[in-house]
Amino acid sequence: MMEALNGLLTGFGVILTPANLYLCFLGSLIGTLVGVLPGVGPLAALALLLPVTFTLSPIGGMVMLASIFYGAMYGGSTTSILLNIPGEAASVVTCIDGHQMARQGRAGPALGIAAIGSFIAGTLGVVIMTFFAPAIAAAAIRFGPPENFALMVLGLVCTLFMISGSTIKGVLMMALGFLTAAVGLDVVNGRERYTFGSVDLSGGIELLALVIGLFGVAEILSNVETMAKTTLLADRIRGLWPSLADWRASWRAILRGSGLGFVLGLVPGGGPVTAAFMSYALEKRIAAQPDRFGKGAIEGVAGPESANNSAVAGSLIPVLSLGIPGNPVTALLLGALIIQGIQPGPLFIAQQPDLFWGIVASMYVGNVFLLLLNLPLVGLWVQFLRIPYRVMFPVVLLLCVVGTYSANKNVFDLWVMLGFGVAGYVLRKLEYDLAPFVIAFVLAPLLEQSLRQSLVMSSDGAMILIKRPVTGLLLAASVVLTFLMFRRRTKTEGGLP
Amino acid sequence: MFERALNVFWVVLGATSAVYAWSLGMIGPAGPESGLFPFIASVIVASAGVVLLLRPATLAHAPDFPRGGGLWRVLGVILGLIVMAAGMPYLGFSVTSFITMIILLRTVDRSSWLSAVTLAFLSTVSVFWLFGSMLGMALPRGPWGW
Repeated sequence: MMEALNGLLTGFGVILTPANLYLCFLGSLIGTLVGVLPGVGPLAALALLLPVTFTLSPIGGMVMLASIFYGAMYGGSTTSILLNIPGEAASVVTCIDGHQMARQGRAGPALGIAAIGSFIAGTLGVVIMTFFAPAIAAAAIRFGPPENFALMVLGLVCTLFMISGSTIKGVLMMALGFLTAAVGLDVVNGRERYTFGSVDLSGGIELLALVIGLFGVAEILSNVETMAKTTLLADRIRGLWPSLADWRASWRAILRGSGLGFVLGLVPGGGPVTAAFMSYALEKRIAAQPDRFGKGAIEGVAGPESANNSAVAGSLIPVLSLGIPGNPVTALLLGALIIQGIQPGPLFIAQQPDLFWGIVASMYVGNVFLLLLNLPLVGLWVQFLRIPYRVMFPVVLLLCVVGTYSANKNVFDLWVMLGFGVAGYVLRKLEYDLAPFVIAFVLAPLLEQSLRQSLVMSSDGAMILIKRPVTGLLLAASVVLTFLMFRRRTKTEGGLP
Repeated sequence: MFERALNVFWVVLGATSAVYAWSLGMIGPAGPESGLFPFIASVIVASAGVVLLLRPATLAHAPDFPRGGGLWRVLGVILGLIVMAAGMPYLGFSVTSFITMIILLRTVDRSSWLSAVTLAFLSTVSVFWLFGSMLGMALPRGPWGW
């Protein structure tokens, strides 16, 4: 307890410098903008800005990237409430009751409760993270390659367990992620694999090109296909502060959303999107008058918006304390750390205390920035919503090109981005979930290294993975979860999973 | 039909990749070789493809591919990116992105020539200024030096 508080003080010492405060504010500002603008998700924005962070210190870069992630959760609600289209995926459910409130002339309280709920949940999430992450890292510090391997397997199985749609398609995507990551040099002996003599492929597939293609270009292709017309209800924003009755209806939903979001953020495959959906379902189920939902119930805004913010803090714990990302955004953050020469894992907090505690402290500060940015400046964000998508998307596409190119200064990456963009667009249409692909792609080198190190240190082959108690337990949990997953899918789909 | 063809593709991809991974070596005297991990991944891809192929046709998803205006807009974006990737090494970032923007604004937005050229010029100059000058990124330049 005291150790965590001391660490937090160190973190505030790191973050409370003009340069880091500026980067935290800039990240919060960009995050809010990304959340507000439909068609630009936090993942694509992080990927676009990742090369910019290469020129910053690791702490500055990570503070900026993390604040874009949680800033987007704040901004997404504005678009959902005023336009009835989600600014980003975690704000989809906010459209249901938030937009109804706006239609009834209550856009102000809807925006207000979304921002205040986000602030409360975001802060509560970081408080729990402050004490929880070091405890997890301390427990995992004795892990060797077999335990790390088993932990990553469990993380991947959890991801598959949580995805929507077909499990078998999720498994296929995961394996495809492993295969794509195998292109280039073997991490252990430096031998070329799947390069077919190409110099461009010998460096492997660039993470940024892949992510910007799958989540940036594919999103643009989906959006330009429909080019839906929307109605902005911006003239109805009055009185952002919720009334006493609104507070009475919302405070429990905010607390429930905070708790649920945090737990779902911890689980690989969970994260802000799942948290928001689950919170909405929970609020509706336990409501005294469930028929109010869908007609402007303020709990339907307060719960999900709190849950998606709390889930951000939860989802950062496995990546910072174990080195295991639970969703594509945290996978990219892990990639960013690796590019900076830092390997997150159980030793991360002990070896990089300034960086870890700096990130944690920046989240306290960032939440305050975001509250200030989202409530008094709501009028500014509304102006951005007036920009038609047909004008915005070419600029976003240009940014995708610059973001991809700037990673390696290699035009080949643009072809990779285009290829993954088209593939992502088609695969989305066929209801393939892309999250397992990205997570597997990022984890593959670590997973392969752990597996091979485990087999090298073993005297009886793969038995090492069963004989060690922690490894055995983690793999047994993976097997049970896999069995449950396939049984559930077989039952619900009435056929093959 | 499209999904069936894709499932066949997964099977072929997984099988071909597995054969290639096998050729890299599986287990050697020093332990696991370079082919072991991709071989496992390839087998999973091929097996998942087989399972998807065996699913009843009623479970196969019929994708809603774009038609008419939607198709033109999607193709416009893809064409714009092809021009960007193909032209950048020769024409540099500024000229290529200017041409790409005009393609995008004319095919996707159906903007007038005047507004397409104006918007393309402004956005290209803004992005070049922000990333090339302010953030110091080395964007490719054409034979004329910009």
